[in-house]
Amino acid sequence: MDLAEIMQVYFSASMIKPIFIRTARAVCAQDSFSSNDLLQPVRTLSGNRFTYLEPNYQDYFTIMQLRRMSRITRLGLVTAIECLRDAGDTQPEAIITGTGKGSLTDTEKFIHSVREFAEGTLNPSPFIQSTYNSLNGLIGLHHQINSYNSTYVHSGFSLEHALLDAAFQLNEQSIQTALVGSFEEMTPEHYIIKEKLDFWKKEIDGPDAIMKSSPGAISGEGSFFFFLDYQQGAAPLQLVDLTLLFEPGEGAVLHAMDSMLEQHGLGWDQLDVYLSGRNQDSRYEHYYEKVEQRLSATTHQLHFKHLSGEFDTAAGFGLWSAVRMAEKNQLFPSMIRKQGSTQSMDYMLLYNQYYGKQHSIYLLKKT
Amino acid sequence: MPSVFITGMGIVSALGNGTAIQREKLAAGVSGLGPAAFLNSIHKTEFPFGEVPFSTEELFSRLAEYSKLQQSRLQALGALALEECFTGLEQKPAGIRQGLINATTVGGMTDIEDRYFELIKPEQMEPDMSWAAGLDCATGTEHLARQFDLTDFVTTISTACSSSANAIQFGARLLQQGVLDRVVCGGVDSLTRFTVNGFNSLKNLDRNACKPFDANRNGLNLGEGAAYLLLESERTLEKTGNKPLAILSGYANFNEAFHPTAPSPEGLGAYEAMKRTLEKAGISPASVSYINAHGTATLNNDEAESMAIHRLFGKTVPPFASTKVYTGHTLAASGAIEAVFSLLSLQHQEIYPALNFETPIEATGLIPCQTYRQMQVEHILSNSFGFGGNNASLLFSKYD
Repeated sequence: MDLAEIMQVYFSASMIKPIFIRTARAVCAQDSFSSNDLLQPVRTLSGNRFTYLEPNYQDYFTIMQLRRMSRITRLGLVTAIECLRDAGDTQPEAIITGTGKGSLTDTEKFIHSVREFAEGTLNPSPFIQSTYNSLNGLIGLHHQINSYNSTYVHSGFSLEHALLDAAFQLNEQSIQTALVGSFEEMTPEHYIIKEKLDFWKKEIDGPDAIMKSSPGAISGEGSFFFFLDYQQGAAPLQLVDLTLLFEPGEGAVLHAMDSMLEQHGLGWDQLDVYLSGRNQDSRYEHYYEKVEQRLSATTHQLHFKHLSGEFDTAAGFGLWSAVRMAEKNQLFPSMIRKQGSTQSMDYMLLYNQYYGKQHSIYLLKKT
Repeated sequence: MPSVFITGMGIVSALGNGTAIQREKLAAGVSGLGPAAFLNSIHKTEFPFGEVPFSTEELFSRLAEYSKLQQSRLQALGALALEECFTGLEQKPAGIRQGLINATTVGGMTDIEDRYFELIKPEQMEPDMSWAAGLDCATGTEHLARQFDLTDFVTTISTACSSSANAIQFGARLLQQGVLDRVVCGGVDSLTRFTVNGFNSLKNLDRNACKPFDANRNGLNLGEGAAYLLLESERTLEKTGNKPLAILSGYANFNEAFHPTAPSPEGLGAYEAMKRTLEKAGISPASVSYINAHGTATLNNDEAESMAIHRLFGKTVPPFASTKVYTGHTLAASGAIEAVFSLLSLQHQEIYPALNFETPIEATGLIPCQTYRQMQVEHILSNSFGFGGNNASLLFSKYD
């Protein structure tokens, strides 16, 4: 590893002081929403696109309200509402979201209507909802939350930068609580665009295809919200540290993990759970393989993208799983790839990368 | 909180390329608004626009280096402002961690929208499809970060019209938390058919040059451009030896839960954003020398902002004006563009005239400063308010 790489890793170590995650909610291709866990058998998915198992919106909104909201707006809003309800606090002091693509449905609808009506009189609703921070505004409106509010739109770092922004403010105690979340959808049109950019697997045969290594990933969707607190209270999980690496060299990821663990006085054999964003995309698997080689036999190895598919903010599915497994004190059976020897689940490491560019490493601790 | 120093700035807007031409035109009261030449829209001559007066090819020809950029108007605009930001400064000092906090509302939409319908035909493939990634907001940011060696931390913020004001705030936090030694913050947006039709569908566009804070104002004019500030911590200044242009002494973001696109009539969000910014800086409203208002000239914004100014400053409102009538509303770039204007005022101890103002808004009677004035400028409060109730304010202070 050259000096520049070492410097990069050194620089990114220990970005935050620890904060607590009080509640977490998830909507994705699995039935993660109704019970808020995945202890039950999972849905068997096939094909090259995993899509949302959508909640029953009529439990939340009137028909009139629903008519005005697009797909991802409804989804994101419901996820946020339940996360706040679980937390027993509808007045967080910040609302911060991350999304790689925002409401694609609205963006596309508006592009089409500009052409169809030759730039004439157009319905402004899709334009308004295509704005990346429109969901933030709607969450605020729903509960009358006057607070700090921001939206990160940086691909595979979107959720992590939202978490980091909240962590900074919790650390400096300018706020005591924050609602942080991500939302992502895939549309048939955008699937084609990303297909041309070689995002997806070419051939899918049978339900095991997702487990086979080949160039490309399976497309997925997910919306995740977290209630963050500077105090422990009843929070099941602590976000101890977060390290982000942009286009790191081959050895930089392991080096970052080494220094992160060292910084917190931990050895590899003290990791009880490893949550991996591995998605069987053969072009970037070497990053994950290197980490797996380093793991101790005590550590349970869990994967999650065979259940959700791949998307910019998919690490949120891993983080939601960590929170809920900590709360239930039980691993999600469908995620276990390799059973470890440990009986405890104190420390968890979550590693995710998005097409080799944005890498994130979360160090988590069960309270 | 540790101090945040501004050591570099760069800008391109409808007024031209670079800070010198901006100052010249602002001081002379010359607006950059006019019919659009490069925007591909049937509305290009129907409304005035703050279009940057160069074709995309011309923009690239003005760049010293662009080998890592894509053929993109967004990236060319961003690169011009970034290049100026580093004028006379070392671009990548050894051992300095530096990043880019960018802001945009629609990313590379300008570069994609004319070819969108080919793009979604599965059979239509080209040998190099990498341009198709332009719809992702991260794409332009990452190309710019690689070109200017700003890769230790790279992100993009999108909160509509307050985007780059929020980028500056996040950058300040990254310095104050010690994650970075220095950081370039700002934003870029290029005119797109998508956004022009969006604002037109909201009936928010004035067919004439906009009239900020005038009782008879009739909407905004859209613009494009880019601007970036280089922020350094005190410790970094010791290493780089750079001389600060000014200090970022306060900032706040406050969301009011009132309406998806309109502010509350009494301007609660604007009031809180300004008040909290002054509190963070530890200065009283009476110490503010000048307010660079958001002043889009929409019916709602200017009324709400006036009410908020009136409430915060009482009977002694400092000189204020909106520069949207010079550049058009440059959306995600506007917070950074107006930060550069604020820094010019601090550097040269002068303020620039509001244009197109005739009649004050009845409820507040506020009258913007209408003449070029040389005066003592210590602190400038700059406002950026956006869709979704997102309000951000920044306070820039003179460095002695």
